[in-house]
Amino acid sequence: MAEIAELLDRQNGATLGRMLGRGSIGEAEEGSDGRMRATIRIPEDELVFEPGILVLPHGGELELEFFNDDKNTHCAVLPCNGDYKFIWLVNHSRGTANLTLDGPGYYWYGSRTGNDEGRGLTAAIVVQGDAPPEARLDRPPQPRP
Amino acid sequence: MATEYVDAGQAVGNSTLSTIVGIAPPVAKDVTYERILNARSEPQNWLTYYGAYDGQRYSPLDQINKGNVKQLAPAWAFQCGSVGLHSGKSTYSFEAAPIVVDGIMFVSGWDGWVWALDARTGELLWQYRHAIPYDVSLCCGNVNRGVAVAEGKVFVATLNAHIIALDAETGKKVWDETYGDVRAGESATVAPLVVKDMVIVGSSGGEFGVRGHLDAFKRETGERVWRTYMVPKPGEPGSETWPADGEAWARGGGNCWVTSTFDPELNLLYVGTGNPCPDFDGGVREGDNLYTDSGVAVDADSGEIRSHFQYTPHDLWDYDSTMEHILFDLDGRKLAAHFDKNGFLYILDRTNMEPVRVAPFVDRIDWGEVDEKGNVTPKVYPDKEGDPVHFWPGPAGAKEWTHACYSPKTELLYAPVQDVGATATRRRREFKESIPYWGAGVAVDLEDMAGSVSALDPRTGEERWRWSNDVPMCSSLLATGGDLVFAGEPTGEFNALDASSGELLWQFQCGSGHHSSPTTYSIDGRQYIAVPTGWGAWTEGFLPGMLGAGQGSSLFVFALPEE
Repeated sequence: MAEIAELLDRQNGATLGRMLGRGSIGEAEEGSDGRMRATIRIPEDELVFEPGILVLPHGGELELEFFNDDKNTHCAVLPCNGDYKFIWLVNHSRGTANLTLDGPGYYWYGSRTGNDEGRGLTAAIVVQGDAPPEARLDRPPQPRP
Repeated sequence: MATEYVDAGQAVGNSTLSTIVGIAPPVAKDVTYERILNARSEPQNWLTYYGAYDGQRYSPLDQINKGNVKQLAPAWAFQCGSVGLHSGKSTYSFEAAPIVVDGIMFVSGWDGWVWALDARTGELLWQYRHAIPYDVSLCCGNVNRGVAVAEGKVFVATLNAHIIALDAETGKKVWDETYGDVRAGESATVAPLVVKDMVIVGSSGGEFGVRGHLDAFKRETGERVWRTYMVPKPGEPGSETWPADGEAWARGGGNCWVTSTFDPELNLLYVGTGNPCPDFDGGVREGDNLYTDSGVAVDADSGEIRSHFQYTPHDLWDYDSTMEHILFDLDGRKLAAHFDKNGFLYILDRTNMEPVRVAPFVDRIDWGEVDEKGNVTPKVYPDKEGDPVHFWPGPAGAKEWTHACYSPKTELLYAPVQDVGATATRRRREFKESIPYWGAGVAVDLEDMAGSVSALDPRTGEERWRWSNDVPMCSSLLATGGDLVFAGEPTGEFNALDASSGELLWQFQCGSGHHSSPTTYSIDGRQYIAVPTGWGAWTEGFLPGMLGAGQGSSLFVFALPEE
């Protein structure tokens, strides 16, 4: 089973590309200014974003720095309140994206250029936290799964 | 050797990589409460969700009429499509009612989209997209039913239960308030309603055991004004209709996921409430379960419940009553008309919510009997654990959320009718937050279904005519001064019917099914009919026989040829 799991996690293993929701898990760091920051890399010949799952402590402002370490061109189409954000990432390039996201919940993002028009490079941003107290239901605490 | 990276710069907004203009004329800044109050006096516009506070979905515009409707043709279309993985998988549908202010259209879509369009040409002026988490629980599709516009702002509810205000000229966010708990299974799909200096919204999530509520916020700032729960806490009026022990009330449902109507003279909002929870297992919530499945008259200033009428006490069939209450005056009486999921048309005295008349509007009703005063005798319902029970109408109802209309010209009500049954098998389960809480396995009939547009006389409750269809009718109707009723079909046809006879006068195939609310407006004397199309959403509930039909996301606008 461990072998199959490994094959699901890479290019041209059991699948053609990495399965959704796999890859390493990274955490954004929160600065004293309240902004969260993280680095995303595109490693060579893996056709993935790393970390595959980026975890935020709560919703808010997120600054992502992208490094394309691959020998091919990619991009990132990212969720953001107001409009999708787009950044072109040619071979060996670096750039940033400033995003505003609600929490809790998770979002997919991906690449849609540079022969990524099919399944693309796909990764997730996970936002932890709760709805603010004033938005929650007036009722006793309820059981959760 | 260290890599020397090329500078890729900053990510840019997707809209900058398009021909989107980025700004709309300042038409919305003069949309005051007084103008919305008198919306029907400016029929060139469609200023609020139903066209006017009374919910009639009637426009006096008559340039397009029985005599010339055969010449009606597309003027323009708008498409957006869907890219990549978006919230709620692929259950999206285009369900909104386009708002039009002095030649500018404001309309919302699935997955957090809001657009401002030139209503004459279809040119996209600006767009806003709220990023919606993929894992928000959506009980009934990735949809939004429309926006409200007032005082320079566009208001929209988001699937993750925010109410946001956008600058109507730029589409930029002005304020953003959260009014639901997505961890509890709440969401939002309702079109907001602006009343006085407030914007009013309700919650979705009635299949997840939440406690339904209606919320009012300050229009300018987003500051909360009031919240009213539609299931009372122990000790509050109506709490005697819930079990005295336990927490059934806390999971009781009663969500307000359809826009209210409003009587400014009585200062009352007419709020339809959703099903009790669990939908089909009444054994865990003995009693009538107020104020679920009710029409509730709510004081607009305080949010206090003034009166109510419960259509389906102790519901065991998922018969939400969220659908509109159409306000009209007839023979000196202030009335409200409500077509309920349970298959009956109710004419109420809207001053006290007492029933005046009750009449069936669909052929097959066997779940129970309802007398002329609205008293219910249940007949067929899921009762024994594991015992399948078939009943008509099914849980999508004889009429779904999509709206009926009323023509003051013909003094007739027009309803989109769904004649389809379902089988429910009670399966009790424990409650857990964020998990669907139906208490049954349910399958809506795949065959033996029908639909119609039916005209009913509110004086008698009798059917005056019917335009029959092979499949249920699942989109809102629009009545006009041109003696026409517009109706979209699940199979894509958009129809114009003679308001007096039901005769089909004109038809256009839009390429995807209708599950939205058409509106009408005029610019420089030319009348337009706008209809969003795009099949999807909760199809398994209202027409599973068309689950495999193609989806879409186009807004069509029709007009007569220019001379």
